[in-house]
Amino acid sequence: MIQFFNNVVSWLPELLAATPLTLTLTLVAGICGLVFGTLLALARLSDSLVLSMPAGIFMFVMRGTPLLVQLYLIYYGLGQILPGTWVRHSFLWPYLRDGFSYAVIALSMNQAAYNGEVLRGAIRSVPKGQIEASVAIGMTSFQVLTRVRLPLAFRDCLPVLTSDIIILLKSTALVSTITVLELMGTARMIQRESLQIYEPLIACGLVYFAVVIVLTNIMRPIESRLTRFRRGNT
Amino acid sequence: MFLTYIDYMGWGAKGWGDEFFFGFLMTLKISLSAYALALLFGFLATAAKLSTNWFLRAMAVTYTTVVRSLPEILMVLIVYFTVAGLAETALVKAGLVDKGFQFDPFWAAVFALAFVSGAFMTEVLRAARLAVPEGQIESATAVGMSSMQIFRRVILPQMMRHAIPGMGNLWLSVTKDSAIVAVLGAFSELLYTGYRAAAATREYVFFYGVTAVLFLLITLVSVAVLQWMERHLNRGYV
Amino acid sequence: MKIKENHKTVPETALSVRNIHKSFGDEEVLKGISFDANSGDVISIIGSSGSGKSTLLRCINFLERPDSGEVAVAGEVIRTHRAKDGLQYPSDKHQLKQMRARLGMVFQNFNLWAHRTVLENIIEGPVQVLKHSRKKAVAEAEIFMDKVGITQKRDQYPSQLSGGQQQRVAIARALAMHPTVMLFDEPTSALDPELVSEVVQVIRQLAVEKRTMIMVTHEMALAREISSHLIFLHNGRIEEQGPPDVIMENPKSDRLRQFVGKF
Repeated sequence: MIQFFNNVVSWLPELLAATPLTLTLTLVAGICGLVFGTLLALARLSDSLVLSMPAGIFMFVMRGTPLLVQLYLIYYGLGQILPGTWVRHSFLWPYLRDGFSYAVIALSMNQAAYNGEVLRGAIRSVPKGQIEASVAIGMTSFQVLTRVRLPLAFRDCLPVLTSDIIILLKSTALVSTITVLELMGTARMIQRESLQIYEPLIACGLVYFAVVIVLTNIMRPIESRLTRFRRGNT
Repeated sequence: MFLTYIDYMGWGAKGWGDEFFFGFLMTLKISLSAYALALLFGFLATAAKLSTNWFLRAMAVTYTTVVRSLPEILMVLIVYFTVAGLAETALVKAGLVDKGFQFDPFWAAVFALAFVSGAFMTEVLRAARLAVPEGQIESATAVGMSSMQIFRRVILPQMMRHAIPGMGNLWLSVTKDSAIVAVLGAFSELLYTGYRAAAATREYVFFYGVTAVLFLLITLVSVAVLQWMERHLNRGYV
Repeated sequence: MKIKENHKTVPETALSVRNIHKSFGDEEVLKGISFDANSGDVISIIGSSGSGKSTLLRCINFLERPDSGEVAVAGEVIRTHRAKDGLQYPSDKHQLKQMRARLGMVFQNFNLWAHRTVLENIIEGPVQVLKHSRKKAVAEAEIFMDKVGITQKRDQYPSQLSGGQQQRVAIARALAMHPTVMLFDEPTSALDPELVSEVVQVIRQLAVEKRTMIMVTHEMALAREISSHLIFLHNGRIEEQGPPDVIMENPKSDRLRQFVGKF
């Protein structure tokens, strides 16, 4: 029993060293997801079919298929196509040799689709009065969008967006299947090399648990601050 | 050139069509079994969470907090190895089964998936249970109904109205999470079939594309059914 | 005492509305409304619910699009054209924006921006639309906050204020744009009775300062007290209009008599 415990602890340093990669994946995909998600939501809400239909199809496909399938499709699929194209000889190639870039692409697209759906609902439900006041005062459509609709929409769905970040963090574990040595991938590698089955996984679980707790507690005060205008006087 | 793709999806030894068909069915089997089991876990854990016994509450809270903080793939691996490894050894040692006993990998995987989804199911059910007004239960008690009656006739029907959206989303999640068991390499559900087909023919785009389309099919049909259910259940309400 | 306006000379006709028609589906709500507001006039539009009062006001700054008719602010007409579908649309977005900046609107439901503090609400228009510097906007905002009596609440959010306080902020926000004409859409209708008087007081003060105001209201006492002119709307037409004392003491039309009799 003690041996088990010691084994678990012994893997922690190696796993903690892999954690920054997990966090980087989360951060990059999270930001890309938010930016593209906003664009997707706006496209989906637009009156022009040329914008709303592709956006709708993209969102449906990304949310209707498993992330793992998307990862394989992008990693192996692009891996099959790209070498035959100009990309092979371009400056991009070194970045496309290992799994990291593919992981970021797949995670960002997936996150964008989920964020887009949430933002679509939030943008649509901004109270009409707020927008009327902006129009009545003479703001341009762009100003109304960037100074009133988007800020209010974001603050409306902030709780959902933050929990989506946590989900994203957990999803990064899947990229271990396409040779990216982030936290989960390192744990699997330790499994193969040390022939211990449980200890690396348990240690890995402890690190994920800790990261999730820390992240949740960082985001809660930020969430609180950004939505204080809602709560009125106690 | 287009014809080769049709050949790929043919039935029988040369084509992968039949493999995909059975892989599709396997995914459905896994999803349905895991979902049903998750429902059971969910009800048990919700009862524990809302009970007066602090130990039960603590266990349930630990369950939902820990399982929801860890990646699904990690949980599936841990539970699968535990069930397919430790549990087997324990049962053999305890003399309850004989030496050659092995958990069917199918059920080990189903258990793992259900264990993970059960934690999310618990949250859905708990919120639905709390959405039932206390007054409803009080009047049932005042009339003299037994706990079992109250649960069956008052709590459960009202809970379900609130739980359906969350449960519907969970079903969609389970069907997609079932793809994770492909990494176990133990049996041929949809993604693993796609993996084998793509690796054998090196036609990655095509076969992973087929896999994606088939998953999309599951989603499409599920969404249609869920929308029908929601309309049907809400027909009495404004 | 005249308040400094945006432009050098204010032509006599601050607002001119000509032959406004508006239908919602098959129902014609405004059947050809015309009136003028001279600089310093306070015009109250009264009438029963459904007479089209709010719609008329909202047509002036094109929050509702008039089916036909013309609106001119300080002599400048808001340009429109008839599109292929036969409907009338504003032609020049830029001009419309500028016109709206000259028409300060106060809404029944305040419509303060929920994510901005009181001060931020008031400077938003001047900074974003009038392109004033933040410093200038804040300095002016201080004056307006003082005027409506809301200075202590400058860093609070609308959700922390009472209805009366929110409406006063809304008035300050409209004033900060230095409008040629102020439009009030039932400013006190959404307020609890105890809070009405604090808003009425501010509006009364604005009338004393000879601001040009068009007000849709149910507050007959206020309308009678401060208006230079009353317009009684019934079924989408101007049934009767004139100075308040005249038309309320001796209403010519039966319906106005009935309406006034209720008060």
